[in-house]
Amino acid sequence: MLKVRDVVTAYGKIEALKGVSLDVAQGSITCLLGPNGAGKTTLMMTIAGLLKPGKGSIRFQDAEIAGARPHAIVARGIALVPENRLVFPSMTVLENLHAGAYQRNDPIGEDLERMFSRFPRLKERASQPAGTLSGGEQQMLAVARALMSRPRLLLMDEPSLGLAPMVVEEIFRIIGELHRDGVTIFLVEQNAHMALKVAQHFYLIEQGRISFSGNPGSLAEDEVIRRAYLGTARV
Amino acid sequence: MTDFLQNTLDGAALGASYALLALGFTLIFGILRRANLSYGPAIMFGAYVATWVSLNFHVGLFVLALAMLAGTLLAGAYVERLCFAPHAKGSAVAAMVASFALWMQFEELATWALPRHLYAFPALYEGSPLSLGPLLLRPEAILMLGSAVLICAAVWGLLYRTRFGTAVRAVIDDPRAAEVSGIHVGAVMARVFALASAIGGLTGFLIVSSQGQVTPMLGMWSTLKGLLAMMLGGLGSLPGAIAGGLLLGLVEAHSQWYLGPQVRDFLAYLLLFVLLALRPPWMNTRSAY
Repeated sequence: MLKVRDVVTAYGKIEALKGVSLDVAQGSITCLLGPNGAGKTTLMMTIAGLLKPGKGSIRFQDAEIAGARPHAIVARGIALVPENRLVFPSMTVLENLHAGAYQRNDPIGEDLERMFSRFPRLKERASQPAGTLSGGEQQMLAVARALMSRPRLLLMDEPSLGLAPMVVEEIFRIIGELHRDGVTIFLVEQNAHMALKVAQHFYLIEQGRISFSGNPGSLAEDEVIRRAYLGTARV
Repeated sequence: MTDFLQNTLDGAALGASYALLALGFTLIFGILRRANLSYGPAIMFGAYVATWVSLNFHVGLFVLALAMLAGTLLAGAYVERLCFAPHAKGSAVAAMVASFALWMQFEELATWALPRHLYAFPALYEGSPLSLGPLLLRPEAILMLGSAVLICAAVWGLLYRTRFGTAVRAVIDDPRAAEVSGIHVGAVMARVFALASAIGGLTGFLIVSSQGQVTPMLGMWSTLKGLLAMMLGGLGSLPGAIAGGLLLGLVEAHSQWYLGPQVRDFLAYLLLFVLLALRPPWMNTRSAY
């Protein structure tokens, strides 16, 4: 569904991605693990169009999307749940969901109902400014906002970052539900333990390059976790 | 007492024009986080287009208003493309300095096309003022107040009751999150800029047609009054812009009457100085509108 080939993304002269290639299969949960600064968020932002790759190709359902603008990429059916959630703090929960459906011209009432039944806390707080929500609730809102565009591929950048263990459990339960509903998910995580439980396939990224790819179980979990957190170079 | 009421009435009408100018500044400042010094000069350019039309053709006020609107929109689009679109993610100072350069262009262009210092502009209303007891009501003042109420209500409705308004507020809250939500941020910014230009063109038309004259100073005057009113109300807040404009108008009207025209401007800047020094809570609004 998504084919990333030899993507190089640089901040000025510093290459954060030094030729990344990976695939996300339709209907899968694919996970990208790696230490801080390895390029995980850079890759997500490059796929979502927030950063332009210097080289390489990104194909989504056989159409080239590398270098396209973010709104054009949303129109193709990719939605990003950004790192640190980035909800619209001064807008209400309901307005945040409306913003997520900005490009849609069909009625969205049914989808709003679906979000509220999946995330009951959001329904309770529908008319509250998003900035007043707890971290976990903001994460739910960021996921719901992304789903409002009816994506075929959901990119999730560190959805468990800074959340309490119980909330992390909840987030991963929802990731599992979305997957069962047929959404393809590409997930970036620091929490390798949780991510490996839901993913069908994973990649390890270290210093801007994919260093390993496999299925959970193909490498001992503690070895994956050690490399995801620390990277091989520094061990 | 009558003087006080009369000054309050005149000050409110003057303040309504300042509020509208501040509204335009605030729309641009809110979404771009950049001050557009060329906002007033673009209005002046529009006024010169309308003046040129009125000197060369026999047309009614409605056509002049349209000419002014078109001229201001054109000048505004020129400013947006040249100063703000290229610097949307870059330097705010570069955008502001560039907008100052275009200010000079507009003034040069206007004085080159119509070189006299002062041109008459057709008045909205030729008759004598209406009286309400001891108070005099100028019809232009009523029109200015009424337009201000209507325009503010329309802008509020646009921002809080339409899909476009949701997009505008999303861009203000977090441009990056707006982009990944599928909002074309550059297009939203350009449209808000055009909206501000349209408000400027209409406000400028009401101002020049009630003053009955146009000079190249209109540009600097509009920028100064609009910026001053916006800052008095706290940067980037729409209710603040309206309150700041009305406050400025009332302070000017009363101080002119009781203290004289020299003290008037001094007092307005003193007020700004005191507010900036004390920083009451409403001056620290981070989120716009």
